[in-house]
Amino acid sequence: MTEKPAMATLPPPDVTVTDMTKRFGALVALDAVSVHFESGTFHALLGENGAGKSTLVKCLMGYYQADEGDISVNGVTQHVTNPRHAHHLGLGMVYQHFTLVPSMTVAENLVLGEEGLSSVINWKEHLEILEAFMQSMPFRLDLNRSVSNLAAGEKQKLEILKQLHLGSRFLILDEPTSVLTPDEADQILGLMRQLTDENRISVVMITHKLREVEAYANEVTVLRHGRLAGQGYVKDLTHADLIRMMIGNEKISKPAVRTKASRREIALEIRNLVVGNDKGLTAVSDASLQVKEGEIVGIAGVSGNGQTELVEALSGQRDEESGDIFVRGEKYGKTRSEMRDFGINMLPEDPLNNSCVREMSVAENLAIRIFDQPPTTYAGCLINRGAVRRHGRDLIERFRIKTQGPDARIETLSGGNVQRTVLARELAGDVEVLIVQNPCFGLDLNAVAEIRNRIMEARNGGATILLISEDLDEILELADRIIVMFEGHFVFETSRDKADVHEIGRHMASHI
Amino acid sequence: MFGSTFNNGLEAVVINAAALILTLAGFGVFVALFGHNPLDVFYILYLGAFATQLSIENTLTQSAPLMLTALCTAIPARAGLLVIGGEGALVVGGVATVLVGVHLGHLPPWAGVLIMGLAGSIAGGLWIGAAGALRQYRGVNETIATLLMNYIAIAIMSHLVSGPIRDFDQVLKTSSWSIPESLMVSTVPGLDVHWGLAVGVATCVILYVIMRQTTFGFGVDILGGNPRAAQMAGLPINRMVLVCCFIGGAGAGLAGTMEIIAVHGFASESLVVGFGYAGILIAFLARQNPAAIIIVAILVGGISASGGLMQRRFDLPDATAAVLQGMLFVMVLASNTAYGRFKIFQLKAN
Amino acid sequence: MTDGGDLGWWGVLIAVMGGAIRVSTPYLFVSLGETLTEKGGRVNLGLEGILVMGAMSGYGTAVVTGEPWLGVIVAGCAGSALALLHGLICNLTRVNDIAVGISLFIFGTGLAFFLGKPFINPSAPRLPHLELGAWSSYPQVRSALEINALFIIGVVLAFVLAWGLKNMKWGLILRTVGDSTEAATALGYNVNWVRTMGTVAGGFLSGVGGSFLSLYYPGTWNEGLSSGQGLMAVALVIFARWNPIYCFYVSLLFGGATALGPALQTVGITSNYYLYGAAPYFLTLGLLIYSSSTKHSLAGAPGEVSISR
Repeated sequence: MTEKPAMATLPPPDVTVTDMTKRFGALVALDAVSVHFESGTFHALLGENGAGKSTLVKCLMGYYQADEGDISVNGVTQHVTNPRHAHHLGLGMVYQHFTLVPSMTVAENLVLGEEGLSSVINWKEHLEILEAFMQSMPFRLDLNRSVSNLAAGEKQKLEILKQLHLGSRFLILDEPTSVLTPDEADQILGLMRQLTDENRISVVMITHKLREVEAYANEVTVLRHGRLAGQGYVKDLTHADLIRMMIGNEKISKPAVRTKASRREIALEIRNLVVGNDKGLTAVSDASLQVKEGEIVGIAGVSGNGQTELVEALSGQRDEESGDIFVRGEKYGKTRSEMRDFGINMLPEDPLNNSCVREMSVAENLAIRIFDQPPTTYAGCLINRGAVRRHGRDLIERFRIKTQGPDARIETLSGGNVQRTVLARELAGDVEVLIVQNPCFGLDLNAVAEIRNRIMEARNGGATILLISEDLDEILELADRIIVMFEGHFVFETSRDKADVHEIGRHMASHI
Repeated sequence: MFGSTFNNGLEAVVINAAALILTLAGFGVFVALFGHNPLDVFYILYLGAFATQLSIENTLTQSAPLMLTALCTAIPARAGLLVIGGEGALVVGGVATVLVGVHLGHLPPWAGVLIMGLAGSIAGGLWIGAAGALRQYRGVNETIATLLMNYIAIAIMSHLVSGPIRDFDQVLKTSSWSIPESLMVSTVPGLDVHWGLAVGVATCVILYVIMRQTTFGFGVDILGGNPRAAQMAGLPINRMVLVCCFIGGAGAGLAGTMEIIAVHGFASESLVVGFGYAGILIAFLARQNPAAIIIVAILVGGISASGGLMQRRFDLPDATAAVLQGMLFVMVLASNTAYGRFKIFQLKAN
Repeated sequence: MTDGGDLGWWGVLIAVMGGAIRVSTPYLFVSLGETLTEKGGRVNLGLEGILVMGAMSGYGTAVVTGEPWLGVIVAGCAGSALALLHGLICNLTRVNDIAVGISLFIFGTGLAFFLGKPFINPSAPRLPHLELGAWSSYPQVRSALEINALFIIGVVLAFVLAWGLKNMKWGLILRTVGDSTEAATALGYNVNWVRTMGTVAGGFLSGVGGSFLSLYYPGTWNEGLSSGQGLMAVALVIFARWNPIYCFYVSLLFGGATALGPALQTVGITSNYYLYGAAPYFLTLGLLIYSSSTKHSLAGAPGEVSISR
């Protein structure tokens, strides 16, 4: 254990990045970016997915070596070669995915990363020190709890505590609120702001949420396509300024036109559905809803409130504990023949892992829905690989999938093109019911617009659509009716016309 | 048209050949340490495995059960299960063959053999199928379950052979009743190799066609590649897993049948000679492809076949063949890491 | 046990307890070894080959030098060498640890039989034991309470390992690596290196377990020495929930179950001999079926171990 007098006396690190460039093959991920992270400030790194935010901080932390440019810490130029080196300089990072050891206690997790940990651990002494450390922090956790029993917000706090305990005084937070409820997010970011105001630490927060930047950051740097798109003090910038910096002058295809639907029969119904999660806890409790033809019902909510389990129950990836799903009045057993007869299609989140086979070709992946039907079969049970390839080539063309060819493995495609492949597969046939989850995650704005257009076209064509999304803007753009999901319950419902963002936001945060 | 498949096949051939050459080099060093000229040893290896009709027949005889036990790992593996129960399924198949066969003396040989083959494969199929069911309906890890079931199968056989079905006329060794002499099968015409070889090759070829050319095989590939995608496609996963486990177990059970009706005539400890474990590795070496299993099994069988000659010529222990096989397995498994690392085999942009 | 008759069923009980201690020793070492391997996140099914290799090399060393303890050390080192091979190969990407284990099982036993040919006939000095039963007039009791030295070492080791996994730096690191690759990488640990070391340490213990077979009980070297104790290690560890102290209890249980058949034979019950011998496998399978669920992974399993998923 090292004592930390430095915490009280010296100011936190002041870090400057000058003309940093990082290339991956032909791709320039970061193009001559310069940023000054001033000591004791809360600095936001804003930008869309793929803008270069992660690359920048990974260069800072020594995971990547920049091709050009300098890093200086407290005025001294440093060549950061690995994460350990970055730690020595007082830089620490809190990852988007938790890096805690689930089977260990809070105390064990805190002790793990300590420099110069002795080979035999004196738990008595360590626990005393940790207890004192907890007392000095604005938020606390029980040292003896097992991490696997912590809630998402508590894990996030533990990640931050861990970095502080290790002596990091320059904290990089990678999208820290993506798994938190708005309340938890406000609490944690508020505490971070408090610590920077007290000049105890410097914070860099990667985010794409403007609200968080405006509420908590002192300074902001906006990246776009790997280039610096703007920076300044948050108090000097308007909301419009930030959006302009983030999006630039790109032309975005127009939102799809919503037509008036003619047929209005209930096609999809969920009645008293209860679904458990991996830990055996209830993730969806007593959920009921009805979706009509030609209607998009949007389910809004913060990540981790049972949306994934709901989608899995609908897609056949998870058995419900009780309750029923009906399609066109008939009980739906999630079999292949029902999916075909009812025209049920799915666009799950993370399509590569949820609905593709990595080792199979693009054409084979495109055939997953239809491979057991003519024309891709003959003699009933034999597969016609030529027809599979022709079908694949046809869809690749129609949906403009960028691939080396129908025989290329799907894992060689970019994320956007995997998404497009699944979209092609699911929308090519007869779509009567469509279940969509976070369809635009991680895509650039044009791809987003295209995918939303196709969903809207399907709706206009009379399809019944259930859209589950963590992006409230997406729901507001597409849905005819909006339902808010919180801790497994449908807690609020509103029609498109009466939707009020603030009211929806309040319901996303808690029962009212 | 067939670019992807062709390139992948070529890649596998090149990588496996390189692993084989490295293995031989390592083995050469090993025998050199014991004072033998590696080149002489290689020559004897070739002589014992592939040079003469006699050695080829010996090799093919050795490879026959390996083809069938390899299927016990390969077919479930295509559905995403790691089954290592070939040894047990072979034993169960052999015992079932004997239990049925002793009552069939009155039947014409073809009918008796057919029924024994069915008994062996059904028993083996149910044995591994049970492991598949435990995994699908109860979440029991199939690797551990089938490992344990190997020992249980052997214990059941030892129990039966030591009492309930023991042939007390045999004084030299503990063995079961023998099946009627009339039901023992002879050799393949033109070769001094028992019919197990033909059965093994035919089974592998048929399963190759099923896995490669039918919608069932395509569905299994989806399931093995990503179970979540298979769920989303609404495939009948439980049924597919059970069928794959049954097929695999039936393969190993059939190996047990052939050992009884073509080699021993009765069940005894001599069924437990590691065919099941070697089959696991052959399946991995063949990358779970039934057609490739034929070739790999013959190669591995050749090493076993040449063991005797190496022993006689160089006074090397009979375990020499096992050392070489072990080296080959280790090397080929390690070479799996090389797939996809060489640009030359990757599909060119269209 | 010539006069088992005068003790009757007590004789069976005493024989089972004595057998439990004797037979459990190799189980104890391989299960502790496999626990270390699996705590790091890998499965080594090659422990069977390592066990046989340990038995051979330990015996050979004892024959040549006359020092059984040196044999134990050499057996451990031979085990470590084979385990190192497993660890290094599994460090490569796209390599399946189960398959590598089975290939090592075949390679290790083959190599042991190859190198051990000259040692089948000569006899080696045995490892010492403690006569805790000298007070008794019954030879059965005296025989049952001959506690071998390796058993005592193994028991101490079980408690030391259990303590070390919680209270020593290497224990925390090993558990971190075995539970979450992501966490270990973020903390800057070299995951492959730690796993390889866990495997090597496990190999050392399994090699020592093998030397028990050839240097104490049954105390000879031949090709039928092991009856699959190495392969069983994986099942034992599941039964013991990856806890070294439970490994001790479970080894005793398995040892006792294995000793049941021979013990019953002494009182004239010979039927079902082989089924009693398979009792550990039935027990483990039963426990697995009981404690598994399609909903969650096995309790206590390290997160990165393939067989727990």
